[in-house]
Amino acid sequence: MLEYIVSKYNFWAYVILLLIGLYAMVGKKNLVKKLIGMNIFQSAVILFYISIGVKKGGATVPIFLGDAHAAHGHGHALIDVASYINPLPHVLMLTAIVVSIATTGVALAVLILIFRRYKTLELDEIMKIRKDTGV
Amino acid sequence: MKVVATILIILTGALLIYGVEDMPDWGDPNSPANSHVSPKYIQEALEKTATPNIVTAVLADYRGYDTMGETTVIFTAGMACILMLRKKRKGEGD
Amino acid sequence: MATHFAVMVIVIPLMSALLTPVIGWWKKELCYPWAVAVLLVTVVCSIGVLNQVITGGPFSYYLGGWSPPWGIEYAIDYLNAFVLIIISFVALTVGIYSKKSVQKEMPEKVVPFYTLFLLLVTGLFGIVVTGDLFNVFVFLEIGALSCYALIAIGRDGAPFAAFRYIIMGTIGASFYLIGVGYLYMATGSLNMHDVAQLLPELYDSKVVLTAGIFMVVGISIEMALYPLHAWAPNAYADAPSTVSALIAPLMTKVAAYLMIRVMFTVFKPSFFIETIPVTTVLTWMAAVAIVLGSIYAIAQTDLKKMLSYSVVAQIGYIALGIGLANRYGLTGAVLHILNEALTKGCVFLVAGAIVYKMGACNIYDFKNLYRKMPFTMSAFLIGAFSMVGIPPTCGFFSKIYLIMGAIDAGKWIFVAVLLFSSILNVVYFFRVIQIATFEKPMPDYGRDKAYESVRMDEVPLSMLIPIQVMAVGILLAGIFSSKIISTAIQFVIPVGF
Repeated sequence: MLEYIVSKYNFWAYVILLLIGLYAMVGKKNLVKKLIGMNIFQSAVILFYISIGVKKGGATVPIFLGDAHAAHGHGHALIDVASYINPLPHVLMLTAIVVSIATTGVALAVLILIFRRYKTLELDEIMKIRKDTGV
Repeated sequence: MKVVATILIILTGALLIYGVEDMPDWGDPNSPANSHVSPKYIQEALEKTATPNIVTAVLADYRGYDTMGETTVIFTAGMACILMLRKKRKGEGD
Repeated sequence: MATHFAVMVIVIPLMSALLTPVIGWWKKELCYPWAVAVLLVTVVCSIGVLNQVITGGPFSYYLGGWSPPWGIEYAIDYLNAFVLIIISFVALTVGIYSKKSVQKEMPEKVVPFYTLFLLLVTGLFGIVVTGDLFNVFVFLEIGALSCYALIAIGRDGAPFAAFRYIIMGTIGASFYLIGVGYLYMATGSLNMHDVAQLLPELYDSKVVLTAGIFMVVGISIEMALYPLHAWAPNAYADAPSTVSALIAPLMTKVAAYLMIRVMFTVFKPSFFIETIPVTTVLTWMAAVAIVLGSIYAIAQTDLKKMLSYSVVAQIGYIALGIGLANRYGLTGAVLHILNEALTKGCVFLVAGAIVYKMGACNIYDFKNLYRKMPFTMSAFLIGAFSMVGIPPTCGFFSKIYLIMGAIDAGKWIFVAVLLFSSILNVVYFFRVIQIATFEKPMPDYGRDKAYESVRMDEVPLSMLIPIQVMAVGILLAGIFSSKIISTAIQFVIPVGF
């Protein structure tokens, strides 16, 4: 049992963030808090992907530093795969970060429209106004 | 809504914890994710794309199509904000 | 050349969407012809793709020349090509319709509207045509962002409906992304066919099971399957009329296509039947969706809200067909995707025409509408027949296949649900037709015959022709349904069914 927690503690970090984000998105009443929950939720997914690509044992970032020019002209130089971490999750998450920002931007614009109409950003007051005016 | 939220996170948390058992260890260099597609990226990126940064090589060359989609997402978000928020100023002919 | 059609179907709307602001802010009147021309070219490309698949079999296109799984692949088979044609045809029809409607509802926002229209179409095409799991997420977000913005400029309660859609749509897309992450962790690849090959020996891994459940739940949220449907009724009802007619037939059906892809191509269907009983849960949720969606629809007085609940009910049909997972059920589900797209397009266009003429669409205001707008209401009649399932419309054939699928699986309760729901459909659709056709307004004292004073007051031709085209399409799809099935749909079913 303790071994689960210790050997996979990267997992617990992202699970707790994900559950906090999900609870905020569904359970909180203020619309801005829901939006922040959405951001936390998407950050948790990003952390999950990044943690897939880690390699223990001295692996470094997937950039060829310094000896780039040397390896350049030599064709298939001996590149040790185990000394560079997996680049693919990083690539996917660059796209996911941009998508998250774009969605937050659009959601904030929608919040401006809601505020102009209802003059409040609390969910129960908005539902009350909707019920009263029949919208 | 708080009840629904609590039930939702209990179910999601249970599913996630259930899935942890067969996950490869953290940082295992021989996990399927690290040994199927990525070694070819690391080995061939420099000679095929002449870019020392492998992440850039994958982002702009191998999976450049995803990057095009990502820039389209930014453009879409910009047009969405223009659509929703732009107000015509009074007295401006069009 | 023909294989390039698969990429042109994405590149042309995308590049045109980038050019639309330039053209529009130079001359605003050019936006509409430009958008219609682009959509016409897209229809030609998608016909080319279908032609290529029928004559040459399924083909792949490697983007950038990198072979999969290191690059992104477009794998076109019968299902892809079939859904592509549906999307492009509905988009073209709504595009032609949109001129007068947009001019009336949002005249100062024409340029960004058409840009987002083309971007939405690009996003939908991108989901359908790609063979790479992460690429689906990127194009899903393009389509979803355009949807959120287009919905938010609607009538009074629209921004709130759009916000609820944002929250639930993001949960759905992120659950899908978590599922893809688990699959990547288990197999190391992102290509659909590659994962399908690597997956069978990993079926008893808990990671794969978690992946499957997350992906199915995420796609169900996008598909508006009960009980995750809460965003759909308000979002479709409060959107502007053109936007409702574009999104309601397409967005949920593309998510249904994605569900078929995940369940039958990436995971073999035996995984979802034996290892975890997803298909059982899916069929029961679908049955609940059918019944409750129809009951909620009966309770509505606003035409667009009623039609939105009808969408929720019809998605139940498609999910039932997918969940039954046998030959007839899947055929019925795919044929129902075609039927749904055409029928919902037709009835939402009719609702938009009514809003154009009357400003609102409370069904109790529809008295004598049949005399004022006979062509529009006859198209609505054809749409209603298709929803209920009266021959020779397409709805009859798809329901027959679903019923045969349920009988084949031995689940008689679903047969009863399908038949009962037809009766419920009759109730809410024919109530509208009855009010429009038979109820006369208060007699006008001073004239002899009240109904003679009602002159025909139809919507303009640019709105009328698309409505009639859709109605004719429903009839044609029904008459030629067996040919459609033998040419395209029967190859969708995986072997062994």
